[in-house]
Amino acid sequence: MTSTPAEMPPQSPGPFDPPGVTWRGVSPRLVPARLIPAAITLGVPLIAGVVLALLVSPWFWILAGVPAAILLWVVAVVPRQVRAIGYAERDDDLLIRKGVMFRSLVVVPYGRMQYVDVEAGPLDRKLDIAKLQLHTASASTDAVIPGLVPDEAERLRDRLTVRGKARLAGL
Amino acid sequence: MSAPTTTDHVWRRVHPVTPFVRGWTVLAAIVVIGGQQVLQDIPDGAELAGAIDGLWWKVLLGLAVVAAVAFGYAALAWRMTAYAVDDDVVHLRKGVVFRQQRHARLDRLQAVDIRQPLLARLFGLAELTLEVAGGSGSGVAIGFLKEADAHLLRADLLARAAGLKAERAADGSTTAAADGAPAVVVRAPYGEPGASGHLESAADTRPVSPSEPAAPVAPEQPVYEVPPGRLIVSLLRSVGVWLVVLLLVGVGVVVAVTRNASILVSALPAILGGAGYLFQRFAGEFGFRGAVSPDGIRLRHGLLETRAQTIPPGRVQAVSLSQGPFWRGPDWWRVKVNVAGYVSDGKENQNILLPVGPRDEALTALWLVLPDLGVEEPRELLDEALWGDARTDRWFTTSPRRARWLDPLSWRHNGVAVTDRALLIRTGRWVKTLVVVPHERTQSIGLGQGPWERRLHLADFSLHSTAGPVRPVVYHLDAGDAARLLGEQSVRARSARAHATPERWMERVAEVVPQVVETPR
Repeated sequence: MTSTPAEMPPQSPGPFDPPGVTWRGVSPRLVPARLIPAAITLGVPLIAGVVLALLVSPWFWILAGVPAAILLWVVAVVPRQVRAIGYAERDDDLLIRKGVMFRSLVVVPYGRMQYVDVEAGPLDRKLDIAKLQLHTASASTDAVIPGLVPDEAERLRDRLTVRGKARLAGL
Repeated sequence: MSAPTTTDHVWRRVHPVTPFVRGWTVLAAIVVIGGQQVLQDIPDGAELAGAIDGLWWKVLLGLAVVAAVAFGYAALAWRMTAYAVDDDVVHLRKGVVFRQQRHARLDRLQAVDIRQPLLARLFGLAELTLEVAGGSGSGVAIGFLKEADAHLLRADLLARAAGLKAERAADGSTTAAADGAPAVVVRAPYGEPGASGHLESAADTRPVSPSEPAAPVAPEQPVYEVPPGRLIVSLLRSVGVWLVVLLLVGVGVVVAVTRNASILVSALPAILGGAGYLFQRFAGEFGFRGAVSPDGIRLRHGLLETRAQTIPPGRVQAVSLSQGPFWRGPDWWRVKVNVAGYVSDGKENQNILLPVGPRDEALTALWLVLPDLGVEEPRELLDEALWGDARTDRWFTTSPRRARWLDPLSWRHNGVAVTDRALLIRTGRWVKTLVVVPHERTQSIGLGQGPWERRLHLADFSLHSTAGPVRPVVYHLDAGDAARLLGEQSVRARSARAHATPERWMERVAEVVPQVVETPR
């Protein structure tokens, strides 16, 4: 690299663990919030397949088997995924980390935020969680923090808005 | 426009011929669609010919009714359309059934275009579009105006967006603040060390009457032009043409073998689609001319529908130079930009800074966007960016050797270089691409890693930019390099944002205009 910034952070153990960052996790209630819709979507062909297999023909075990396999995979993976979601507020930007197999880390500067959304569907409200989404001028900024406790979501949104306004930097 | 007070908007109508022009496009569309429907029944043509005798006047009557409805609606829409220009905002009122009033802030201006469809050109009319970065469809389109009016309005809007407050003195003469843009000194394009190109703008000496907007049209200096011959050859040397040719040959062979002409008819839409794409590209990029002015980058292009784009300084979010395999011989490059508000929705030619040009012209186009790369040897850096690979790199950090398992073709070429002003990303061996993103235009930064990349200790680094054809992503970097780049880039982007040109780009200069005009050579 040609130019060096004012201070260079020391070498980090891995690309997804920048030094000096304390990650905060999201609520474990996100796991049922993700599993319930998956169970419903996959359960219908599963049950239909089982019933038809018992009544009509053994070939329908395939119709039952594929959703069963997917459901097992989802049940195994979703808790790990939820544990892997993390966010951290630094002085000038927000870091969001997610993913187990396909990891990703997004750094969103406060001055670039255009607006902040907090959303909660009916299932989310039942489970008392909310989803916070940051929008920048770029459509490919995928800065979503699902599974936040609603109080924390509001607090974060207000803090982000204040910091965004303070560091506002055009387009 | 009389001198506007803060609460008093002077609403102006667009040109009265507008409903005629707009009505014709609707009518033409209906005729084309109807004709397509009729032509699809070609086998029934025989009985159609028999019935046509009695049908003629019915068809004409139907067309007349449709025409009356189209022109009537267009006239009504014309009555409901009005625009007004403020110091800070442009207002547009339109809509017959669903009334709409749109305000566009001038300091959010991303680009101003003047578009002239063929029919409007015949009448000497033009449509003015303002893009304000609100996504597709958020621009303000004022159409149609007389050509001269459209140019004056554009100059006025750009002057207001730049922060030059045009004051109209009581005696009708313009004050110094709006009188001619100050002289702008720009360094020469890369590759001419020592030479210093100057862009001067003599004060506009045309007499300005009190009724005209006081901002003069900023002068421009032409920078490059694409001759039609080069455009045609470049299209011939593109993959699309050869696909269409192959398709034609294939269809011809099949028809000859099976002696069945109906295959030709069913393949006709595909052939017409391919030929249509090529013609659209040719017609959109014909007569491409690029120029630089205090207003920003000026582009002019078009055969049937001409378009004059103005992109003010600091509005280009990212630039890419790309070269397909067939262009390697004459060393031609295609330069595309991301501008917030230009969404590539089929009108791809909005995002093109240079449709085809040799390397020097492409670098000149890059210089238009980013005059200062921030290194002492810009020419060598760009040579390395366009033609280099890992064996000879000085500035670029490329994928390590172990990335060859994931990307055997281009691992030597994928790399990133960071300068004081911009981040350069080089990718590809078959289709070479160079992406340049100025630090102050970085939106957010992302790091990604799949399971194979984790095994090999690699990561992908991407800069998020606004919607457009340019995607600044570099794959399979060493994970430590990527992490370090992430940390450094956040810091660099922040300090670049702090020092960026203000959105009203003339604001700092406007106070010192009298002195700046005297800038020595």
